Amino acid sequence: MLIIKNLHARVADKEILKGIDLEVRAGEIHAIMGPNGSGKSTLAGVLAGNEKYTVTEGEVTFEGRDLLAVPVEERARMGLFLGFQYPVEIAGVSMANFMKLAVAERRRYLGEEPLTASEFLRLMREKGAIVELDSKLTSRAVNEGFSGGEKKKNEIFQMAMLDPKLAILDETDSGLDIDALRIVATGVTKLHTAENATVVITHYQRLLDYIVPDYVHVLYNGRIIHSGDKSLALKLEKEGYDWLINDYKE
Amino acid sequence: MSISELVCGDGFRRFEGGRITVSDDTSRPFAVVDPSKLELTVESGVKCRLVILHTQPNEMTARIGLEPDAELSVADIYLASTFAEVDVRQKERSVCRFTTVEMQSANVVYGMSLDGVGASCTSDGVFIGSGDDHCVFELTVRHNVSDCTSSSLVKGVVGGRATGEFRGLVYVAPDAQRTDAQQQSRNIESGNDAHIITKPQLEIYADDVRCSHGATVGQIDDDAVFYMRQRGLSEAEARRLQIEGFVGDITMHCPVESLKEPLTDILKTKLEKL
Repeated sequence: MLIIKNLHARVADKEILKGIDLEVRAGEIHAIMGPNGSGKSTLAGVLAGNEKYTVTEGEVTFEGRDLLAVPVEERARMGLFLGFQYPVEIAGVSMANFMKLAVAERRRYLGEEPLTASEFLRLMREKGAIVELDSKLTSRAVNEGFSGGEKKKNEIFQMAMLDPKLAILDETDSGLDIDALRIVATGVTKLHTAENATVVITHYQRLLDYIVPDYVHVLYNGRIIHSGDKSLALKLEKEGYDWLINDYKE
Repeated sequence: MSISELVCGDGFRRFEGGRITVSDDTSRPFAVVDPSKLELTVESGVKCRLVILHTQPNEMTARIGLEPDAELSVADIYLASTFAEVDVRQKERSVCRFTTVEMQSANVVYGMSLDGVGASCTSDGVFIGSGDDHCVFELTVRHNVSDCTSSSLVKGVVGGRATGEFRGLVYVAPDAQRTDAQQQSRNIESGNDAHIITKPQLEIYADDVRCSHGATVGQIDDDAVFYMRQRGLSEAEARRLQIEGFVGDITMHCPVESLKEPLTDILKTKLEKL
């Protein structure tokens, strides 16, 4: 589904990604861990097409297409979803209106008929229930005045609405209390199928108690320096990163 | 249905400008199209609404008087370039609300005088300039006596090579104690050749007052545009939605319910040209 080969990227003059190789197949869950500043969010941003980053080398294939040549919105319509670490507030734009436009674009790309108003409302109710999203939030402006937990639930709600092929969740667990973490993580698990894939970027093992990964990768200094199964996350939780990164320190 | 057709319909009481005195409550709003002169008096205790619609290039002077306890809500809509001077004088406890929508080059000058104790006025507005438009919104609120309240929120959006100007002044006379006055100017410049000039000012000669003013000029929020594009919206749609959201609250507070939808449509059409 997603093949990343020797990906290098920079922001301004600073090289952040220094040769990432990663393959994600349908049905898989990958966790990307690593110390602060290792390039995790940059990787998510590059895959989503954030123009803040410049790709200097390497290639990315998504669903057989050269992803780096595809504009941001087209990547989204193809089914690439980014769960934001800091969801953006958009004053005066209601969640319902925003989602109506987004769902319409995704369906148009898939060659599906637009939803009727009542089908859309039913979908909103059904998907909102997955993350126990307060139905009042969907009539409010996008993320405006939402609590930290509500913003993250809202990200997973949008993921549920858009039914992506590949979801990249950038520190979806940051800023969540225990209950919200459980709801958000369980929501992600419910949305996982054999046809889609999830990449979770996280600092903490506790998220992976709910979202059990097939692979855990350690990103450090712009490269994946180690990969393993879910037991790697437990080891990292106990022992930290030092045993891995000593050899790679600049 | 266009706004012009709407205000000519049964829901409104048309008049042709000139002098008019409102002495009874009426649920149907008054509507006047392209007046050059307007003198309106709302008698004591009477409530009414007024729509002033500008559809062709024109000059207008309007004199509005509110007797004690009168209430007037006005939607002042500029669909064509117009020089307008609106002078409002308010007596005790009267309430005046203005919603102004400037969709073209227009030079609109409001002077609100709070002459009776306990009077209050609200002046909210939006101007949108595209191409070579030059929109001017000038607002002077004079607190001439004590215990009056005024607030205003004016939002401006300019694109292309357009210029938008907000000139605001709150004057508080020496004896106008317990004045509560707020004036806010918020703006978005879309593109490098569009300009906003904003000057909110306070002139305060009393000491027991609560006054605030502020002005902001921003650009389109790139993070918000990226967020919307990541959900599948095109860049143009994301920009338009953001600006619509920014100015939408002004038109949604239009005092005449039936105008909200057509005003929102006009706004959308105008924003597509930005």
